Amino acid sequence: MEPLIQASGITKSYDADQSVVHALRGVGLSVQRGEFVALIGPSGSGKSTLMAILGCLDSPTSGRYALDGEPVEALPRAALARVRNEKIGFVFQYYNLLPRANVLRNVELPMLYAGVSRKERTRRAKELLDRVGIPEKAHQLPSQLSGGQRQRVAVARALVNRPALLLADEPTGSLDSHTGAEVLALFRELHGQGHTVIIVTHDPSIAALAERKIELCDGLVVSPRSAAA
Amino acid sequence: MRASGALWIRLANAWIEIRENLGRSTLQSLGIILGVAAVLGGLSISDSQRKQSDRLYVRMGGLDKLNVQPSPVARASTPSALETANLGLRSQDATGGAELGRSQVAGFGEQKSIRARVRSPYADEERAISGIGRDYLRVEGYQLAQGREFSAEDLRNATPVAILGSEAIQVFFPNGDALGKTIRVGDVPVVVVGLLKERVFRFSKNQRRNIFRGRNKIVALPATLVQRRFEGDQYERLERVTFKIPEINSIEAFARDLTQLLVANHRQQSDFRLDDVAARVRKRRANSSVYDVIFMLSGVLSLLGGGLVNVNIQLASLKERVREVGIKMAIGSSGREIFKDFMAEAMLLTGLGALVGLAVGVAFSWFILAIIGVPLHISASSFAWAVALAGSTGFLFALYPALKASRLSPMEALRYD
Repeated sequence: MEPLIQASGITKSYDADQSVVHALRGVGLSVQRGEFVALIGPSGSGKSTLMAILGCLDSPTSGRYALDGEPVEALPRAALARVRNEKIGFVFQYYNLLPRANVLRNVELPMLYAGVSRKERTRRAKELLDRVGIPEKAHQLPSQLSGGQRQRVAVARALVNRPALLLADEPTGSLDSHTGAEVLALFRELHGQGHTVIIVTHDPSIAALAERKIELCDGLVVSPRSAAA
Repeated sequence: MRASGALWIRLANAWIEIRENLGRSTLQSLGIILGVAAVLGGLSISDSQRKQSDRLYVRMGGLDKLNVQPSPVARASTPSALETANLGLRSQDATGGAELGRSQVAGFGEQKSIRARVRSPYADEERAISGIGRDYLRVEGYQLAQGREFSAEDLRNATPVAILGSEAIQVFFPNGDALGKTIRVGDVPVVVVGLLKERVFRFSKNQRRNIFRGRNKIVALPATLVQRRFEGDQYERLERVTFKIPEINSIEAFARDLTQLLVANHRQQSDFRLDDVAARVRKRRANSSVYDVIFMLSGVLSLLGGGLVNVNIQLASLKERVREVGIKMAIGSSGREIFKDFMAEAMLLTGLGALVGLAVGVAFSWFILAIIGVPLHISASSFAWAVALAGSTGFLFALYPALKASRLSPMEALRYD
């Protein structure tokens, strides 16, 4: 079976003032369906840039990237938006919920872009809130929730379109260790249910929970070496 | 967007956005409010004035009139024999014209004026005397209060009878008892057979002068009496014939035919001129539409000013909202969706602003018109103009911020602090 993520020779450079910054300098990796992978590296290693490219938030300067069998490295913006909507669920460090929409609305939003009917949207959003353990918060605003609860909302939102890939960027970075552990347990549970999860982190103890680690340094994969193709 | 009810959700979100940022939203819509108010206020004031001047014309007997008056043919040189041989405008021109335009002409009035001394037991004054014929009273909008109009017989025989306007009654018979009394016009004793109702028109409520007060001074005699007894004119020349033509659009055609007839009757001389009242009013209205343009321009300028402020505020608020745009993009919103979100909000704001602006505009012109005392009248097209101008400026000025937002890169937008 083909891997969910198949990337090779990914580079990304930015023009900064008068010099060119090479954030990624030829990264290759592949992730199988159902894997739980940790993407680690110190700040400045390029892991955020890689996450953005894997998450189709950005396009690589060069290289090839196939997600779920579909080459996405050269897709236009609108097509990338569709890919993000259908195949990727994001969980961010700062929750990134819409502050003025209630929890239910936040969770429904990706389905709105996918063209899901109103009834189905509400049904699925409630189901997901159930699954992340906060069904009673549906009509509250994000600001009325605790950090852990907000992150659960974010997870529910990420899952609502049944994405092929769950991409979490420092998901426990804003949480205390106890709540963080709860959220991580949720990710492991999701992984247990067959979801493909990639967690981007700088914390080795979080990375230890994953099945596999991919370590970046200075825009290159340093461990495992074999992944650098 | 494919989603069901997507527009409603977008509008609902926009409404939440507006409500949550009330101060900003108010500032944003202020330009639209003032612009709409300016356009509608200006237009409705000129609508009201126009309506009032229409009323004036209706009270004067209507717009549907064509006047014919004699005019000298030879202007600078000695008139030729042919020119002097003409008799000018005569009663037969009037009847001929009416005959010609049988289907269009609803009536015609003849007039021949002189000045003469009028004496009653109570007063002795020099007055303008109107010799009138045919449907003069009806065409000019006079109504009888007492007595009768001149009969066909009076007109044919130049019977010495008179009809008095309300002011003339007061002057010559202060006790009001004028009917059947005799007055002397020049040397001719005439019997008062009809009294006219007072005519009043004030352009604005608090205008003290009655615009029609001159009309109440009328002392009318049969035109034939004036022509024969006062002028000794066996040709019965007139100074004005007024045709009433209810179908305003046919006036022009009738005027052409009439000109041909008169030129033929007057030995190929154009010793008369036609005056199309409706055309005159149209022209005047065209002049007044200059004010409309000015009002509209001032409204458009304030809309533009408001629009620019709007863009500024939207760009400033865009900075606050970049992160939100990033979130939406991350979960799958395309640039198009973001664009539509911003436009929905801007258009909702424009719509609300326009509604408030219409109310303010109506209140404003009501206030101004109450001061000058003209009844408020707003035509549907003024509303339409105000709304259309507001809508299009609102739309145009929303485009730039919305485009800018929709072109944000999702990654940068997410990182934005």
